[in-house]
Amino acid sequence: MSTTNTSSHRQTETFTCVRCGLTVTKFGPDGGRRNHCPSCLHSQHVHDHVAGGLSDCQSRMIPISIAVLRNGDWMIIHRCTRCDELTSNAICGDDNQLILMRMAVRPLAQPPFPLEAFGDL
Amino acid sequence: MPRRKPQRQKPQRHKEVLRGAGDAFRCVGCRLDVPLAAPGTAHRNHCPSCLTSLHVDHRVPGDRASGCRGRMTALSLSVRGDGEWVLIHHCLSCGELSANRVAGDDNALVLVQLALRPLSDSRMPVRALLAL
Repeated sequence: MSTTNTSSHRQTETFTCVRCGLTVTKFGPDGGRRNHCPSCLHSQHVHDHVAGGLSDCQSRMIPISIAVLRNGDWMIIHRCTRCDELTSNAICGDDNQLILMRMAVRPLAQPPFPLEAFGDL
Repeated sequence: MPRRKPQRQKPQRHKEVLRGAGDAFRCVGCRLDVPLAAPGTAHRNHCPSCLTSLHVDHRVPGDRASGCRGRMTALSLSVRGDGEWVLIHHCLSCGELSANRVAGDDNALVLVQLALRPLSDSRMPVRALLAL
């Protein structure tokens, strides 16, 4: 009985997004632990990935790009606004698809060289 | 089949030529000799041909404080507010991420392949359109 209580308690744990203020459950619909807001995809720098353990930065982390794993899964690359640390996190099933697609096409929307030459290849 | 009697680990040969020159590095991915001077950037850290880098810096770029020395492959592309493309490197040895601006002579075909990688799978764009 106590185990079911704790598991249901874990599923209803929430955190507040540091950017948009949305109250988000700590566990996504697929059971995985989430670390970014599904609405604005911003995160908070609570884990020190270089030294390990808790980070004392606690600043906002903005999503800067999409990385693709070998198995086709998407990862979000976050950058801390205060200490510029980079982290990668798996996307969640209910993440905002439009912001994800906007980040994915942003390099092609602002190319530093003309892309017309690649049409011949 | 594994070697019965493992050979004694010899220390790596000291590379006098590479260290003495100081104005070039050799790519760990394709062995290309890359000059440090690059068009458009003063902080070249990756090979212009295969975009591979080496994990030598710790937190501050250029501090050479990392003891990892692992190979870093280009993971994704990010765009700054001013439209500059930034390469995200991923260390294959320790998993750390780092960012570096693309140089003017970086291989454009490899860069575009990297930029197209999220869109090559058709599942996510379809899901995004259905979310509209």
